[in-house]
This record gives sequence, structure tokens and C-alpha cells, in this order.
Amino acid sequence: MNHTVTIRQLATGVPGLDTILGGGLPEFSFNLISGPPGSGKTTLAHQIMFALATPERPALFITVLGEPPLKMLRYQQQFSFFDAARIGSAVRFVDLSDEMATGDFEQLLARIALELEATSPALVFVDSFRAVMLEAALSGAPSGQLQHFVQQLGLKLSAWQATTFMIGEYHSQTEDHPIFTVADGLLAVRQSVHRNSMVRQIQILKMRGQATSPGVHTFRITGAGIEIFPSAFVRDDSGAAAGQIPLPRSAQRVPMGVPLLDDMLGGGLPSGFSLLVAGPSGSGKTLMATAFLAEGVRRGEPGVMVAFEQTPSQSWNPAINDMVRAGTIGLINTRSLDLSIDEIVHHLIGMVRRMQARRVVIDSLSGFELAVAPAFREDFRESLFRMVAALSGLGVTVLLTSELEDRYTDLRFSPYGSAFLTDAIIVLRYIEIDSRLLRVMAVVKVRDSAHSSEIRSYTVIAGNIAIGDRLRGFEGLLGGRPQSTPDDSQHARHGTGEAP
Amino acid sequence: MTDAGEESRRQAIRLALHSGAANGAGAVASAAAVLDLWHQTARQLEPVIGARGVEVLFGRALHLTARHFSWLPTSAHGNSAVSLEALRACLATRSATEASEAGETLLLTFSALLVGLVGDALTSRLLGASWAPNEPPTQAQRPM
Repeated sequence: MNHTVTIRQLATGVPGLDTILGGGLPEFSFNLISGPPGSGKTTLAHQIMFALATPERPALFITVLGEPPLKMLRYQQQFSFFDAARIGSAVRFVDLSDEMATGDFEQLLARIALELEATSPALVFVDSFRAVMLEAALSGAPSGQLQHFVQQLGLKLSAWQATTFMIGEYHSQTEDHPIFTVADGLLAVRQSVHRNSMVRQIQILKMRGQATSPGVHTFRITGAGIEIFPSAFVRDDSGAAAGQIPLPRSAQRVPMGVPLLDDMLGGGLPSGFSLLVAGPSGSGKTLMATAFLAEGVRRGEPGVMVAFEQTPSQSWNPAINDMVRAGTIGLINTRSLDLSIDEIVHHLIGMVRRMQARRVVIDSLSGFELAVAPAFREDFRESLFRMVAALSGLGVTVLLTSELEDRYTDLRFSPYGSAFLTDAIIVLRYIEIDSRLLRVMAVVKVRDSAHSSEIRSYTVIAGNIAIGDRLRGFEGLLGGRPQSTPDDSQHARHGTGEAP
Repeated sequence: MTDAGEESRRQAIRLALHSGAANGAGAVASAAAVLDLWHQTARQLEPVIGARGVEVLFGRALHLTARHFSWLPTSAHGNSAVSLEALRACLATRSATEASEAGETLLLTFSALLVGLVGDALTSRLLGASWAPNEPPTQAQRPM
């Protein structure tokens, strides 16, 4: 028999928050929402309040100095979750700034108690609690008095079986404050501005009694309120995503939609693999990606494309356009410059699930890096790793393109050192032969599989990639300046498929 | 939307002032009715927007109303007992019609300021049933 108390978890109504809280908000918990001005504290509190408050389980929102209630009501009602019709019945606002101004904590406590008795709220919010602390410092109240107040308040609110939020701008220097000890939960929100981009982040520093998602999660504030993008798939020591059994990689091969390419890959790309297609600008990376998606559509496998490359003025690939219009592939097209990788992964995984997609294209990593807020660029490689891992966890086959600088002195496949992240690599190159610019490609790697080692020429005809023969009679092709191997030069000219 | 809301608030104010002044005739009764409705309004709002919030809005409303009724006391703009007493005394010196008109304009201006800040829906909600006797509080009309 189980004699322990079961703590009910409340659904906060903030997308993503329950996930990072470890299932929801513990009922009757005493929580702190901290963060600098403008970080979204009050919005978070209001969104939770309107999601949870009912006439039977009403909410009490106490304003103490801080933001004037008139202003708060003016701005908060812009969010779609704000429901003026429920004010008075399910939600009550009470302004106690006058009581606060007296600096008499006993009186403030008595007034809060009076309000609790009057409405028996299931949810209590105090905004901002920092004002209480500042007032204590200003009025020269002995710190013992404030500590006593905090403890009394915490005790009283737990006894009243109210789930409580203290909202305030707590700074690190006050972190030894008793309120941090008394609190069951600490939700820290912040915004970081880096160059021209602004990123909002939330962290659950503490939540008694449940396993929260550690780390920093990004969120966005829109007209609908806050949406949190839980950091993608935190893995445990076993390397498996929590609650997920790694999908066995099937022996099945995925046709690429480019004639002869499947042969080069040893019979197609193994299903569930990630493939990096690296090449310079104009070499046909997007064409290969398009062919990959189109082949999937032909076989009844929906796909998703994440595009970062094209600007609105450029006409988008008509083949992609047609597939998007037909609903056979999903397109995430973004030019925003303040995205977090978690946000993109969140959208991507949502779309993959919705469309039951089997193929995903990221075009390109270079564009992706630009789209990601500068604050995240330092962690770009790590985030890519998480994204590829999350996608492979879904069992989809992924094609990533990567811009490769035309630097012929070294044999590089991607500027991010991301080559190790993917299971397979195809490299595209320009080479010069007989004063012509030709294109060549090679399969560099297919994990655990035999593949062609040939360097083959290819051409782009009417938007299609046509792979030619192996370039015989040359060496140093990937260096960009091939040399004929003397005894085989005659063969070479035929091998390129070009007239002499 | 706002016009309809304003009209319904005007009707509510008229109704309240009329029934409040019904006990007696003359400017004294009218002044008392205006002050009664004001106290009721302030009581309704103070818990939510704070006494200070109510006071600044009332001060502004009085200032704006004095443009049309130049005889209103403009020196004391607060919601304090002294200022309100001055207002009552001033209203009582006018004719009953003038006192009622000034009171109606003052309260209507006050509500218009509140609407400007927090919108129609929330204002109806905050002012409560006493200001909208003829209709139930309107459903929130959300911008998004």
C-alpha cells in the first residue's frame, strides 16, 4: 500500500512549460518567477493564472508597487489568453501598494490574510515581491523582520492550500535571501541581447519533488502569450532519448532520385541516415535535395524541407513549390535572425510528426547558422548534433546541405566540423579541365556500408543532375587543378563525356 | 463598440443620478447623488487599480470636465475627502440641472479615461453592475 502523498500536477497552459517542469506545476507549491524588467515575468504569471483559474478555484493577483495595476491591465489584455469576462469571478486583482507603503509587514500580512479569507483562492500571485524586499531595505526594517514575513507568508499560503507565485527581479546578490530557501520552485526568465537579436530564455532552477529538464530553454512571446521550446531531447547516460527506444536502423535503402547516385552510395542511402551534401555555391546541392524529396513523394513518403537560403525576391525552386502546394511536403522557410535552434527543431519535429514525414532536408547549414541568433552560434555544432540526434530518433532520413568555400588547397567537407555528425557525406566540386569548369562529385563516406570510391563528373540539365562517368586519367581532382596521368590522358577526354 | 459602450454608461449614470436625487429636490440632492455614485465607483475600483490609480484618473477627469464647467473647483484635483467636499459644496451652489450635468460629464469623462487605458470590456467589468444596470456585462472583446 502506498502511504505517501500524491502531489497533483497542474497544467500551466503555457506551451512547453509543463514539459520542462517535469509534468506540470505541483499543486500548493510556493514558486518564484524571477527575471529582469521586460523578461516576461508578469506575462508568464498571467498566462498561468488565466489557464488555471475557475470560479470554483479562483486566482488572486496582488499587486504591490511594481507595475501600476492600470498599466498592467492595459498591456496584458493584448494577449489572447487575457479574458476580461473572468475578472471578478475567476480572477481577482487586488492592489496593496498603500499597505506596502507603510512598511509595516505585519499589517501587510494581515491584509493578505484578509484577502485569502474573503476569496479562498486556489492561486495567489504577488507582483512584485522584490518591491517588498526593497521597501524593507528602505524603511530600515531589520532583516529578521523580513525573513519572518517571508516565512509567515509561505506558511500561511501553504496552509491555505494555494499554489503561489512571487514575481520579482531577483538578482544574484540577493540569492541568499530567505525567499530562495522557502520557495519550492524557482523559474528564472531572462532576455539576452546580442548584437541585433534578442533571445528569451527560461530556466527551472529548482522544483521540489520532480525531475525538471535542466538547462536553458528558449521561449517566444507572441499575441497568444509565451511559448517555450524545450531544449531538444536531453539524453541520459545510455545515449538513448528519455522514454524512447532507439529505432533499429533498417537495412532498407532510400533511393535518392538522382540516376546512378544510388549505385555510388552502395544501393541508396540507408534508411534513417543523415547525409551531408557539401559543395560550393551553384554546384547543385539544392537540386539534389529537391530530387531527394521528389523521389520520396513519388514513393508516397511525405517530406519536410527547412529552407534558409532563398530571399523572398528570388523565385523559389518551382519543384519544391509544386510539392508544397500539393501538400506532399512541408516547408519551413525562415529568414528570421533571432531563432534558437530549439525553436526550429520544435517546429520541424512538429511538422515531421504531423505529416508523418520520412524525409527531411535542411538547406543549408550555412543559412541555418545565419538564421540562428548570434548568442547561439557558439553552440552551433552542439545544437546541430542534438538536432540530427532528435531527427534520427524519429527514424527519418535527413539530407543536410552545406556551403563549401572554393578553397582548393585543403580537402574540407564542411565549415562546421559537422562532417562527423552525419552518417554519409557527398562532396561536390568544381574542377578545371581544358579551360572548362566541370562539376565532379564523390561519395566520401557511408557509415557501415560499402560505397563507390569514384570521382564522377556530373552536369546540370534543365534542373536535373545527370551523373556521368568516372573521371579517368586525372589526379588531384579535389584540389581543383587536376593533372593528367600521362598514359591515360586519351581515355580521360572520353571519360568526361565532352568532345575533345 | 466604444460609442455603444459610452452611450450605455451615460444612460447608467443618468439613471443613478436621477434615482439618487429623487429623495429631494434641488442642487443639494443632485450634488449628493453625484458624490454617492462617485464613492460607489471608487469603492469598486480601488481594490483593483489602487487608491492612487483612482485618484489620478479622477483628478484628470475633473480637470477635463472643468473646461466645460468653468465654475468647477480645479485647485483641488484629488479624491481626498477635502477635495470631494469642495466639489459637493460647489455643485450645491449651482442649479439642480447644472449640478447633474456637471456630475454626469465628470463621471462619463472618468469612465472614458478608464476605457482609453484598459478598454471597453475591462472597464465594464471593473465598474460592475452599478454602471450597467440595463445589460449584463459584455463578453470580453479580445483584440486577437
